[in-house]
Amino acid sequence: MKITDSCVYPYPAGDSSVRRMALEARFLGFDRLVASGISSGEFHGIEVSNGVLIWDTHIRDLIGRIRQERSDKTVVSVQAGDNGFNRAVIGIKGVHILRGIQSADKNAFDHVAARMAADNRVAVDIDLSPLISGRGITRQRAIHRYRDILILERRFEFPITLSSHARSILEMRAVREITGLCSLIGMDTPDVERAFTGIDTVTTPPNPAVRVI
Amino acid sequence: MGTRPPTLREKRRYMLVSVDPSGTIIDRKDLYYAICDASTSLWGDVTAAVIMPAVIASEGQYVIIRCRRGTERELSIALSTITRCLDNPIALRIVAASGTIETLREKIKRPETPDLDSASSRECSFGEKLFRTEYCYGQKVDVIEKGFKNTNRLFLTKEDLEKF
Repeated sequence: MKITDSCVYPYPAGDSSVRRMALEARFLGFDRLVASGISSGEFHGIEVSNGVLIWDTHIRDLIGRIRQERSDKTVVSVQAGDNGFNRAVIGIKGVHILRGIQSADKNAFDHVAARMAADNRVAVDIDLSPLISGRGITRQRAIHRYRDILILERRFEFPITLSSHARSILEMRAVREITGLCSLIGMDTPDVERAFTGIDTVTTPPNPAVRVI
Repeated sequence: MGTRPPTLREKRRYMLVSVDPSGTIIDRKDLYYAICDASTSLWGDVTAAVIMPAVIASEGQYVIIRCRRGTERELSIALSTITRCLDNPIALRIVAASGTIETLREKIKRPETPDLDSASSRECSFGEKLFRTEYCYGQKVDVIEKGFKNTNRLFLTKEDLEKF
């Protein structure tokens, strides 16, 4: 199980190269990064996986796009929309993470979507950037939404991932700091450890129910 | 008010914090305001008053921050929400916490001297653009684009510059 920051944006989307982010991630205590728009590889002892974020698209186009992006090491994420869209996305094979749930509407992720996420092994991402750089109502809303998601997570046990959404090494945070930030939303240390390894849960295929011997 | 005897004084803890990016000149007062703003925004006035943060000393890229004993957790979370000091983007990385300043001073590493090899390559290119080397230590290279516009700092490694 590798401690993973499940979304960073290296250069050209951000101001730090993927190698520098990997160097910083090693210093901060991570084992793996999911970086948007780069090819998978290993830099400075840190495994970097390619992450694809699909947003603002219809379900039909989404299925085609996921088919294009499907490979062993690519992590496919979809930006959350309304409730119907989220349920449809969770049902599509090849989607690993549902992102941006804090900015979707209030009923976007309900108990039915939570059960589906648990069954289909789709993770819900906790974006730490509103907690780090947000102030006032933005941060309060994010904390409220994450607490709500964690209630569902405890009931249905769907995977959770943690991401900094860092566009610079200055926006990356250490594992210990993230543990502290997660305590704001009611996550204790075992919860955080499980969330750090949530990417393994969604990328490794499940054990078959019936095995032919 | 006279100085209280040691047993009646408030117990304090000190944190050694490293300021990123390296080479940033930090004014203690500005940093104090940034810390107060972050802790008040996160915890509210009451808890911020209990934490009572103060910037005690700054040595190179390190800063020593004081808080009341028992509030280290609150202060460390508040420090991780600091993204700017005035208009400069910064990150504060907690190195250690102790009950005495002296112990923290022992943990301060000697100031990082820029690599002499890199002095010759003050100008470099990355992604078909010309950059000026701002800071270079070990694998890390910070560059700033040449010219008047878009003078943002880029964080690269030596390998990046060799590759491009």
